Amino acid sequence: MSDSAASEAPNAATSAATAAAAATAATTTVPRPAVAPPEPWSFPVGTTHDLPNGLRLVTYDVPGQYVLSVRLGLPISLRDEPQDREGVATIMARTLDEGTAQHSAEELARLLERKGVSYGAGMSDAGLSVDLDVVKGNLEPALDLLRQILTEPVFPEAEVARQVRTRLAEIEQERSVAAQRAGHEFVRTFYARDDRSSRPTGGAPETVSAITREDVSAFHARHVVASGVTMVVAGDLEGVDVLPLVEATLGGWRQGPSRDRFLQRPAQLAPDRSRIVLVDRPGSVQTELVIGAPGPDRSVDGGWAPYPVIGFVLGGSPNARIDAVLREEKGYTYGIRSSFRPRRAGGLFLTSGSVRADSTAESLRLLVEILDSGRNGFSDKEIRSGVDFISKTAPGRYATADAIADEAISMALDGRTTKFTTANLRDLAAVDRSRADGAYERFADAAGLGRGDTRAAGWTIVLVGDAGDHREAIEGLGLGEVTVVSDAG
Amino acid sequence: MTAISYPLAERTLDNGLRVIVSEDHTVPNVAVNLWVGVGSRHESPGRTGFAHLFEHLMFQGSRNVASGEHFSALMDEGARLNATTWFDRTNYFETVPTGALELALWLEADRHGHLLDAVTQENLDNQRDVVKEEKRQRYDNVPYGSALIDIYATVFPADHPYHHPTIGSMEDLDAATLADVHDFFRAHYGPNNTVLTLVGDVTPEEGFAAAERYFGALLPIERTERPRHAQLPPLGEPARLDRVGAVPNDRLYITFRLPVDTTPDYLACSAAVDVVAGLASSRLMRRLVRTDETAIAVGGWTMGLVDGAGLGAVTVDVAAGADPEAVEAAVCEELARFAAEGPDEAEMESVVADTERSWLSALASLEQRADHIGHHALLTGDPAYVNTFVDRLKAVTAEQVREAAGRWLAPEARAVVRYLADAGAEVAA
Repeated sequence: MSDSAASEAPNAATSAATAAAAATAATTTVPRPAVAPPEPWSFPVGTTHDLPNGLRLVTYDVPGQYVLSVRLGLPISLRDEPQDREGVATIMARTLDEGTAQHSAEELARLLERKGVSYGAGMSDAGLSVDLDVVKGNLEPALDLLRQILTEPVFPEAEVARQVRTRLAEIEQERSVAAQRAGHEFVRTFYARDDRSSRPTGGAPETVSAITREDVSAFHARHVVASGVTMVVAGDLEGVDVLPLVEATLGGWRQGPSRDRFLQRPAQLAPDRSRIVLVDRPGSVQTELVIGAPGPDRSVDGGWAPYPVIGFVLGGSPNARIDAVLREEKGYTYGIRSSFRPRRAGGLFLTSGSVRADSTAESLRLLVEILDSGRNGFSDKEIRSGVDFISKTAPGRYATADAIADEAISMALDGRTTKFTTANLRDLAAVDRSRADGAYERFADAAGLGRGDTRAAGWTIVLVGDAGDHREAIEGLGLGEVTVVSDAG
Repeated sequence: MTAISYPLAERTLDNGLRVIVSEDHTVPNVAVNLWVGVGSRHESPGRTGFAHLFEHLMFQGSRNVASGEHFSALMDEGARLNATTWFDRTNYFETVPTGALELALWLEADRHGHLLDAVTQENLDNQRDVVKEEKRQRYDNVPYGSALIDIYATVFPADHPYHHPTIGSMEDLDAATLADVHDFFRAHYGPNNTVLTLVGDVTPEEGFAAAERYFGALLPIERTERPRHAQLPPLGEPARLDRVGAVPNDRLYITFRLPVDTTPDYLACSAAVDVVAGLASSRLMRRLVRTDETAIAVGGWTMGLVDGAGLGAVTVDVAAGADPEAVEAAVCEELARFAAEGPDEAEMESVVADTERSWLSALASLEQRADHIGHHALLTGDPAYVNTFVDRLKAVTAEQVREAAGRWLAPEARAVVRYLADAGAEVAA
């Protein structure tokens, strides 16, 4: 339904109100009801089967979910791309279903559609993900199509060339969208220059345009093998025997060399990552902001559970510290969000959003002040709200087949299972103010917040907006020097 | 194929509130969803954008609820919530743990019954600023961001309720007063202009009793709604609008007036748009993207509406170096060919299978299921549409699709909005 995507949503609210006029209905109001606390909840338990070729199958029976979600996570690293062909993994992912030994690209698209299969594949820093959704009764033909896509792609030259052209156009589109432009500048500033993470996942124009079908085919042959791959099937599995169907289709997938089920190496950060970069976009009616610092991963000392709570309190809800000021008090923004983003090794704490152009410097000042306020501690009420929201929404957030399968594959590529999801929810119940304060302190220390000669020491700050209008005012904040980047010329 | 049969129980309270309960105990949650029969189609000239601004004020406190408390009280109990405004309606919704159902209903009844006790000039001014940033973020500061606004203005006549977008005009919002807020609430917000849908861990009897407890005392409003507009005919000749500026590539929106939602002709048009442009194996995908290589991407969508018209569109991202005029001519040629020959069996099979999966996916979560039920209860009078939609689509014949395309998707009935890259402009500027 396209209408809800285009609807106007508020997504927030806060401040103080008083009574004004008389209302329409003058009847007595029913007393505010009490709330019965929810029962403890656990993530659905999966059943695991290891196939001889290294493929690990995890199934989740979720009654009433008639569209089955199939997800594969392949531990393929962007670092395995040749540096002069960066983007080859992405082009390979997008060309997997563009022609196989038996079918042309067009035939395959039609076959998938006639079976009601939705299919997609994409790269991220965690690996290659392959997603397939299909109505329960069509799982068997869908898995056979999946087998052909994974094991028999032929990468026709014309289709590879088309995906290369599409990616080149997409790079231009990404450059023109302020939020994406800010994201690219952020990783370029934050990660070390020679680390793959500092460059776009899908490659840059000079590397993408050099990619040939031979590059794509070679990358596929080396990396798209069964060893180390986790496959999840979630949905209403009553009367569906998944294992034999998977054995019959992907049991013959070439094993390849042994490898871990997840990627381990942490990304290197830039030694000068703590600075302010302003991407000049003359005439912008808003300024896009990204503020980030290195954050923990899920194996952090003291436990992962406090971090989503801190993200919620600072910038994860309409009543969070950031929107309480920038949206509800000042009206500078439609909404700004903060969250901790764990990777397998190390992670990020990111805050992003857009503000009215003429509030740029003031918004940046407020944001840094609010983010730093974590070091002065949190209140019991704030922490209780964060814990309650995250723990009590879990049953609903993980109610559908696709949400369960997504979480399971995300855990697999992180070297974990969904037992972590349940254990983390249990631990969350024990997060209080002192644990949250300690967790923020450790994060701040590790990130070097406040340790330097400027007030924004430790933070990487990227803005996309009109440099002519805002540069001086930003420099005047005393947060640090401002580097202006221009895309023109 | 999976038969769709979600249970539905319905009761209308004495004050006119329609309550629909769909029981599902798989998760200890209930989706609470209210559809109010007011949207931007009810706005008059000089007052555009008001329905949406008003929706923001519904989060700023009511008789017994402080500003922002609706969000905080529900989120503390594990609710996920929001609201949206659209041409035909405004919806308010939260998914809550079962134990918080009554609190959710109490909070909703307080603002749907007694909002005006708490509305202040300060809140109105603040939310007006927030909405302006929403417009800048979603429309003004994004390439192609204003395309839909241009499409509505080009395809619908100036006096039609869908001519202006829900986000409205910022000048109109500047003119909005507290008196307007009061008038709007009294004219549109009442139990007899609302559908309450509960989906999840609740029985019909429990749901009806809870609805009565919290909403039963609200008084009905006096409804003065005009009848819906008669069906708008297709455009008699092509209409056009060009925007030249800093976009990464030329994009064409070739759009059409359609029949109103859920009619067999609307379903036939929707199938036609899928076959021509919407499916991954669509005719234009094959021709423009795979064969001619004059397009990077092709899309097709339809928007089901109730007030005398719907909207259909074919979108094309033109490849670098290709001629947008020639691409448009090719689209017209394919539309004419489709109207002459109709879909083949494999195309119809693809439309049905693809629609069935996406419909079942949409109904998989309690909150979306509740939203679809409330939608059809309010706007088409048939909440059971969630169960019958796929069968209705299957009943549409290839010949009906061909005929509908010939009438509604004829090249001469197109409204074309083009966003063209200015060769002199810096792309990322």
